[in-house]
Amino acid sequence: MRSLRFHARLLALYFAQYAKARLAYRADFATAVLASFLGTAASFSVVLLLFSRFPHLAGWSFHEIVFLYGFSLLPYGFFNVLSGNLYEFADRYLVEGRFDRILLRPVSPLFQIFFESFRLESLQEVLTGAVAVAWAASKLPGLSPLGLALLPLWAVFGAVIYLSVFGILTASSFWIEDRVGLAPPVFNLMAFGRYPITIYDLKVKVLLSTVIPFAFASFYPTTLALGRTSFAPFFWAVPAVALLFAFLNRAIWRRGIAKYGSTGS
Amino acid sequence: MSEPAVRVRDLVKTFEVTRKSPGLAGALKGLFRSERTTLTAVDHVSFDLDRGEMVGYIGPNGAGKSTTIKMLTGILTPTSGDVTALGLVPWRDRRAYTKSIGVVFGQRTQLWWDIAVVESFRLLREIYGVSEADYARRMKVFDDLLDVGRLLPQPVRKLSLGERMRCDLAASLLHEPTLLFLDEPTIGLDVVAKANVRSFLKEANKLLSTTVILTTHDLDDIEELCERVVLIDRGQILWDGSLRGLRDRHLPEARIRFDLNPIPAGDPAELSVGPWRAARLSQGRYQIVVDKREVGTADVLREVVRDLPVLDLAVGEPDIEEVVARIYRENAALRRPGAEALPEGGAPGAVAHRGVRRG
Ligand SMILES: Nc1ncnc2c1ncn2[C@@H]1O[C@H](COP(=O)(O)OP(=O)(O)O)[C@@H](O)[C@H]1O
Ligand SMILES: [Mg+2]
Repeated sequence: MRSLRFHARLLALYFAQYAKARLAYRADFATAVLASFLGTAASFSVVLLLFSRFPHLAGWSFHEIVFLYGFSLLPYGFFNVLSGNLYEFADRYLVEGRFDRILLRPVSPLFQIFFESFRLESLQEVLTGAVAVAWAASKLPGLSPLGLALLPLWAVFGAVIYLSVFGILTASSFWIEDRVGLAPPVFNLMAFGRYPITIYDLKVKVLLSTVIPFAFASFYPTTLALGRTSFAPFFWAVPAVALLFAFLNRAIWRRGIAKYGSTGS
Repeated sequence: MSEPAVRVRDLVKTFEVTRKSPGLAGALKGLFRSERTTLTAVDHVSFDLDRGEMVGYIGPNGAGKSTTIKMLTGILTPTSGDVTALGLVPWRDRRAYTKSIGVVFGQRTQLWWDIAVVESFRLLREIYGVSEADYARRMKVFDDLLDVGRLLPQPVRKLSLGERMRCDLAASLLHEPTLLFLDEPTIGLDVVAKANVRSFLKEANKLLSTTVILTTHDLDDIEELCERVVLIDRGQILWDGSLRGLRDRHLPEARIRFDLNPIPAGDPAELSVGPWRAARLSQGRYQIVVDKREVGTADVLREVVRDLPVLDLAVGEPDIEEVVARIYRENAALRRPGAEALPEGGAPGAVAHRGVRRG
C-alpha cells in the first residue's frame, strides 16, 4: 500500500516534470497536438466512410461504429502516451547504457521505463475518443448502464493489455540483438483489434483473443454497453486477461534484468 | 573493530565474448560460426572498505575497475565470489541497497537529460524520500561547495562537462548515502573543474564521513584524496595499501640532481661518485638514481657534496605514474607466454590482503 502511494506520487511528479519541460516549447507542442489530431481524424473518417458505404456491415450501425472506434481510442491513446520509451528502449537504454542508471534507483525498473517519458500529444486521442463515445451514446437507445459505467475502467485494462504486450516485445531486446524485431508487425495488429471482431474470419478472431489479445483491449469492452450478450464471457474476462499479461510482462522483465546483470548488455 | 562498510571476497566476473577473426576470411567464418571466448574482467578480487574511508581504485584501461564498481553497486551479478555492503548483497537486495548508496559515472549522467537540473533534484528528493528541510539544507551546501545554484534552471543537456559533473556529484549525495561510488569522476574535466571536484569530495568525505571508492586514471586525484589505493590490472589486484608503500615497494628510487660549477672537463656523459654513476642531463647538470634498497639517500648526498663542485642540488622521487607504469610492465612481462608461471596471488610483490596495507 505504501509502495502504491509512493509510486502514484512519483508518477504524478514524473508527469508534471515532463509536461513542464515539454510545454516550454509551446508552439512546438501545439503543432504536435494538431498533427496527432489530424491523424486521428483521418483514420476515424476512413473507418466511418468504409462502414457507411456498407450500411449495417456485419450488423453494426453507424452510431455503433462511432461508439466502438471512439472507445478504441481510449486504451490506444493511453498506450501511446506511455509507450514512447518502449520503442526507444533498446537504443536509448541498452546501447547507450542508461539502463545502469535505472538499476541504481530504489524504484521498480519497469515503472521507470514506462513513466520516464510521455507522448503528451496522444492525450488528444483519449479526449477525442471520449467525445466520440459520449456523442454516439447519446444517439444510441437502450445502452446498458452497467456497460457504460465500466467503460473507463475497461479502457484502463485495455491500456494495460497493450502496454504489457509491447512490454514483452520490448523485453526481447535483452536477448535478441536485432533491435527492430517484432514490434512493427504487432503494432499493425493493434488496428485490427479496433474493428468489430465479427468481420474477421476465425483465424484472426482466435489470434486477437489469445496470443495477441487486442480484441480484449478495445472490442470486447464495448459489447456489454452495446447489448451484445453473446460476448459476455469475453467482456468479463477482460480484467483477468489484463492481469495475466501484466504478470507475464513483469516476469519476462525480471528475467531480462537478470540476463542484463550477468552480461552487462 | 566495527564491521567494514564493504567486504569483497574472491570476486570474479567473466564475460562471454565473440572473437572476430581478422580479414575477409574471418568475416566469412564469422557468418557461420562465431568463436566464443571467455574474458575474465575481474579475477578473484578481495578487499574491505572501512566506514568513512576514501579509497582510490586505479588501473589502466580495461583493468576491470568499472566492472568491479558495477558489481559493488548491484548492476552486475558476479560470476562467483561475495560482496557484503552495509550488510546487504548489492545485486540481490537492490531496492533496499540503492537507498543508501550514491553512484557517479563520469562517462554518463544520472540526471534526466531533458529537464532542468532542479527538476531532476526534485525527482530524486521524492525517490529517496528526503524531507523538505533536509533538501533545502543540502542544496545550500552544494551551492556553497560546488556552485550549482546558477546551474539549476538549465536542462542537463546544455551543461558543460564540468558543470554536469558538479550536478551529478550533488545529485549523488542528495540522500546522504553511506557509500559513494565514483567511476572516473574527473574524466574529461579541465584543471579548474578537477580541483573543484576534488575539494568537494574531500569536504563531503569529512563532513558526512561517507565511505568513498573512486576509480581514476588520474593519479593526482589519488595523491590528493586517498590514503589508500587498490591497484588492479587485468582483473587482479596488484597492490592494496598506501601510495607511499606502493612507491617504496615497486620503485624505491630517489633522484639526486645537481648542477656543477665549474663544468667538468670534456663535459662527460657520466661521472663517477664513489661507487655510483651520475648521468649527464644537460651541460653541467647530472643525476644519480639511488636504489633505496641498497643505500641511504643521505649517504650518497654526502659523497656528492664532498667530491664534486656542487652549485645547486635537489632530491626527487619518481612520480606515481612512473611507479604504476613500472608495475604494469613487470606484470605484463610475467604474463608473456614463456614467462614463468605467476605465483599465487598475482605478480611478485602483489598484496592481495590487507595485512601489509598502511605500511
Ligand atoms: N558487458 C561487457 N561485455 C563484455 N566484455 C566487457 C563488458 N564490460 C566490460 N568488458 C570487458 O572487461 C574488461 C574490463 O572492463 P572495465 O571493467 O570496463 O575496465 P576499466 O573500467 O578498468 O577500464 C575489458 O576488457 C572490457 O572490454
Ligand atoms: Mg572504466
